[in-house]
Amino acid sequence: MRRVIDNDLLVLCVRLGVGVTFIYASFYKIIDPGAFAKSIWYYHLVPGDLINLIALILPWVELLCGISLILGVLYKGTVVLVNVLVVIFILALSTTIIRGIDIGCGCFKAGMTATESAWKALVFDLIMILFTLQLLFSRSKRWMLASFKVTS
Amino acid sequence: MVTKQVVTIIVLAAILGLGINLFSPHKISYVGQYRPIIAGSGPIIPPEAVSEDPQFIGVDVAELAFKQKSTIFIDARELEEFECGTIPGSINIPFDYLPDDDLGKYFDSALGGNAKDHPIITFCSGSECDLSLHLARNLQAFGYTKVSIFFGGAREWEKTGMAMERRGECGE
Repeated sequence: MRRVIDNDLLVLCVRLGVGVTFIYASFYKIIDPGAFAKSIWYYHLVPGDLINLIALILPWVELLCGISLILGVLYKGTVVLVNVLVVIFILALSTTIIRGIDIGCGCFKAGMTATESAWKALVFDLIMILFTLQLLFSRSKRWMLASFKVTS
Repeated sequence: MVTKQVVTIIVLAAILGLGINLFSPHKISYVGQYRPIIAGSGPIIPPEAVSEDPQFIGVDVAELAFKQKSTIFIDARELEEFECGTIPGSINIPFDYLPDDDLGKYFDSALGGNAKDHPIITFCSGSECDLSLHLARNLQAFGYTKVSIFFGGAREWEKTGMAMERRGECGE
């Protein structure tokens, strides 16, 4: 198991895959922060005063994380941040599904508990966290612009 | 070191996000005006609402109007969702399928020729859905003067324990 987790090539592929996903995910949010703010509002989880600030900052966090993962700079901090973000996304989606809020198409149907889109996103994030956890526990340091030596 | 890196990324993201917003064509205010959504504490008002919009009402006002039988409730969702579960006695005017021409005549016919000042409440699924808002704006534009929007919609109605009318199967 340890050999798989530390496999340099596998770690590189995961870094590229997760990195590109984060960059892609940040793109439309950076282009249209107003629409993203509304999406956050739909979750009913964040105080109203903070929604726009989160909508402006979070996409850039995602973009920088994606770039840092691919390049291998600020690496350990990026990996921790990516894991925290994925856990937050999973919790947000889970509470949304439990409360029966339709975040996908805005067309709640009485009697239904959640939309297919929320479930799909949750499954995607649950798969994603397997990869991000691998990055967290892997000791591979190859193909990075900056090596990481974590002392704390 | 990890903490330092995390803080570096967040600070950099904040500088970029907040700074670029100043010059962005899609600029938004730094502090949004969003009303917290708590059922029963008054009307839910969506972020895209503007001051010219018809008034937003809470579930308590919608319930009172329903009991007084003085108001036309309009479900703005598509037929399948309307049949799956709606406020009893509502009529269905799916906003997504409004005709392009003669909209005024269409509204007059759909509302059974009621006077333009007859009270109307539009609604859809709930706070995730803005069809009720768009329909209400159109009704107002075509001269209906007493239009209100129950943005909590069928979901808040059902959560409050009010009866739902189900006319058909609920699809996926």
